[in-house]
Amino acid sequence: MPSEGKSRIQVLQGTLDLIVLRTLHSLGPLHAYGIAARLEQVSEDLLKLNQGTLYPALVRLEQQGWIKGKWDKTENGREAKYYAVTKAGLKALGEETQRWRQLSGLVEKLLGEGS
Amino acid sequence: MRHCRRLFAKLKNLFGRGRAEREMSREVSAHLTLLEDEFARRGMSAEEARMEARRAYGGVEQVKQLHREERSILWLEQTFADLRFAARSLLKSPGFAAVAVLTLALGIGANIAIFSVVDAVLLRPLPFQDPQRLVRVFDDLNGAGAKDVGMSEPELEDLRDRAGVFEDISVIFPASTALSGGDHAERIEMLGTGFDYFRILGAQPALGRVYGPRDAVPGFTESVVISDGLWKRQFGGDPHILGRRIRVDEDGYTIVGVMPPDFRHPGQTLERDVELWAAAGFKASPFPLPIVRSARLLPGALARLKPGLTIQQAQQHLDALAAQLAQTYPKDYPAASRWSLRLEPVERSFTGSVRPTLLLLLTAVGFVLLIVSVNMASLLVARSSARMRELAIRQALGASRARLVRQLLTESVLVSLAGGLAAMLVLALTKESLLALMPADLPRLTEVHFDARVVGLACLLSVVIGILFGMTPALHASGADPNRDLKEGGRSGIPSARQNRFRSALVATEIALSVVLLSGAGLLVHSFWNALRVNPGFDPNRLMVARIWIPVPNNPAMNRYQTASQIAALSREILRQARNLPGIEEVSVGTANSVPLVNNFNNRLAFSLPDQPDSAQKQRSAEFAAIGPDFFQVLRTPVLRGHSFTEADTEKVKKVVVVNASFAKQYLIGRDVGQRMNFGGADWEIVGVVGDVRHDGLDSPVTPRVYRPLYQGPANELAVFLRGSADSSGLRQAVTRIVRGVDADLPVYGVRTMPEMMAASLARRKFSLSLMAAFGALALFLASIGIYGVMAYAVSQRAQEFCIRMALGAQPRDVLLLALRPGAVLTFTGVALGLIAAQGATHLMTSLLFGVSPADPITFVGVPATLAFVALLACWIPARRAVRIPPVAALRS
Repeated sequence: MPSEGKSRIQVLQGTLDLIVLRTLHSLGPLHAYGIAARLEQVSEDLLKLNQGTLYPALVRLEQQGWIKGKWDKTENGREAKYYAVTKAGLKALGEETQRWRQLSGLVEKLLGEGS
Repeated sequence: MRHCRRLFAKLKNLFGRGRAEREMSREVSAHLTLLEDEFARRGMSAEEARMEARRAYGGVEQVKQLHREERSILWLEQTFADLRFAARSLLKSPGFAAVAVLTLALGIGANIAIFSVVDAVLLRPLPFQDPQRLVRVFDDLNGAGAKDVGMSEPELEDLRDRAGVFEDISVIFPASTALSGGDHAERIEMLGTGFDYFRILGAQPALGRVYGPRDAVPGFTESVVISDGLWKRQFGGDPHILGRRIRVDEDGYTIVGVMPPDFRHPGQTLERDVELWAAAGFKASPFPLPIVRSARLLPGALARLKPGLTIQQAQQHLDALAAQLAQTYPKDYPAASRWSLRLEPVERSFTGSVRPTLLLLLTAVGFVLLIVSVNMASLLVARSSARMRELAIRQALGASRARLVRQLLTESVLVSLAGGLAAMLVLALTKESLLALMPADLPRLTEVHFDARVVGLACLLSVVIGILFGMTPALHASGADPNRDLKEGGRSGIPSARQNRFRSALVATEIALSVVLLSGAGLLVHSFWNALRVNPGFDPNRLMVARIWIPVPNNPAMNRYQTASQIAALSREILRQARNLPGIEEVSVGTANSVPLVNNFNNRLAFSLPDQPDSAQKQRSAEFAAIGPDFFQVLRTPVLRGHSFTEADTEKVKKVVVVNASFAKQYLIGRDVGQRMNFGGADWEIVGVVGDVRHDGLDSPVTPRVYRPLYQGPANELAVFLRGSADSSGLRQAVTRIVRGVDADLPVYGVRTMPEMMAASLARRKFSLSLMAAFGALALFLASIGIYGVMAYAVSQRAQEFCIRMALGAQPRDVLLLALRPGAVLTFTGVALGLIAAQGATHLMTSLLFGVSPADPITFVGVPATLAFVALLACWIPARRAVRIPPVAALRS
């Protein structure tokens, strides 16, 4: 049901956007399946997600103008929508990475204090 | 920036929904294909790969929904979907849609029409600076029961210098005046004011300047200000008008300013809007000298309160001042007169007289809208009965109740918005002709506008009404139990008995509301009927009146009509010539306040009756008028006792008066003609008692009145009465020609027939009555439609039963009665509830009634009887059908 999906996305909110953006930046234009495959590969199946849950992030990023989708053919001749990072996306990636580092640093610090 | 961008993208998707949806499906299926390829590559069969791809992907529909929620504004998208659906389903039943939009347009249209008038007349602050500080000041003689008796110049000075509550105060003195120019004089409406008048209102001229305190002189200043209307009419809108010399009442004045078109004096005038403002000190000629404190010749005052003072606080100061003055001048303020000063907000004294009428109409249209809403609710219930199956299916498919209610509400709001839109369109197109229907003497009528406020109200009203009448049916319909309703309504979408009970309750409510509205209308009809039947005290048929203004020049030496004998000579000459007009049989003459049916300014004067022992203690007051010989004979007013005046009653003989029956009843208890009375510093003998003439309007009570002979005193206005068969337009010219022949400086105006004046006297009453009657008729119509619908259904439900009864030998009459019974129960319940509510409601309109009690038996028997008759007729039509159904057809269906 949507409500469960929502709570899950909320946990990932922001992070997922950053991950997708970063993935597209380092690997170049990819379709949703490609992104999902890459995430599974990198996370070594720690991050288990239904591939469909990527879509809200993709919609968000595209509406914000950070990525741009374009229909193209795969090597096997299948059609797929390839997403690529835009200039604005590049700038945002820098800022968001910065922000994430600050945040994770802070959380790390706080967690360290407690022990 | 990025939020804006997202919002824009979302809105784009909202409208390009189809495109976004296709794009999404394409992407999802492409994704699935890639997954399938991958699984196939790992060695799965095509079927296995397809299954595995789906599993890895997750629920396709859920993902699509997430996609939709993310890409667009979900609630708006759903609303649009609902609207589309609502529009489609309405177009599928054009009959329902037309009836619904039409009744709603009537209901909403009536409301915004009345509201726009109420808004302009009562709600909007007067178009002046800080209008809440503007007040009127009145003198009352409570001991004599006389209100607004005018004030004297010394009193005005006390108010200005000693009261300490006013920033500025100005006399307001509405008067007629003769504007000379060209070959004859024209009567125009003038307002004599103090020098601070414009400063009090904070009004600026459109052209030139307004007079102010530096113009102060004891008499009239030379500088006058004219209205935009007079400027355009008399001076052709001449841009070089400033400095123009004009002759007003024989005196020379200079125009120094022109007011803007929308500037109006916020108070009562004589005939129409003020066209000329002139300032005076009221301490020199033409005002009588010496100044006497108790001679209250100034009609009243307008003032601006000091900032931060409430009216109540200011009133306390005035009460203290009045007490102090009464102590200082015991001769001018006898204790028995209980003289007092009274403050009233300008707004209230200006529009107060129409307040009850407008509030009544506003309440009535509110009721109309309620009835329309109830009717709509009833229609919607009937409609949702037919859709029970559809709703049950939706629910079975997983639509939540809230979602169903929302969809149904969208539909009802769409209908009412369409009604509101139609109402606004019609009103905008017919505004001018609607305004022409309003009684012309309604204050602030020119301020009625069809503006954003009214449009906003119409929209708000539509939405609220849509939700109001849609909510109950929607809750009701959405409470469908799929299990039951798919069965109950399964065959042909016939409404359930449960819904019909609900509709019955709605119809009973409708009938009750109609009873209240119709009772209000009934009381007004009865009042109007009473007013029409009122004996005016004279015979209006073939009686006409023409009024002549006699100029009052500032220099008494210039006044050619100063003495009684001069007035008498003028009157006699005009009467002599008028008597010779073709078709004219009898003529007479009087002063302005001798004209019947004109709501003259309250001009009660105090008098005493020296022959009565309690004369020193008791204060008495009456209205005064001066009349020529034959006045009562021409008007056909009976002389009850004694005799009237003759040509011989001039200033050289004994001073005599005639009083009306009300005077005799109130003041001449147990006494007859021959009594003396004292007023204006002289003794007069009462020589006759005449019947009451309705001088203040047909529906205004008759007040004690004293008639003195015209030829025994001065007058500055004449009214010529003519009885004959001449028509009024030809007569206007004839009388004007006669008067101009006698003296071209005397303007003639107000030539009207008495029947015209009687109609004008009842114009407001007729207006509110017509509207109330229209609203009542609408209510009756809607209620009868409502009851017809319920009854038609009930009869169709029981058709089989009736046929079986008939087949078993029941008489048609028995079946008819059986079929009528539920309708009758409904009707009588509604009528009974309505009567109870109406008893309470009509008490609020007491001030609008005339000769009728709020519990008027005729109304409270007639209205329910009419309603019951109409409602039972509406029941009878379907009931009769029940009897006529061929038994075989009914049993088969």
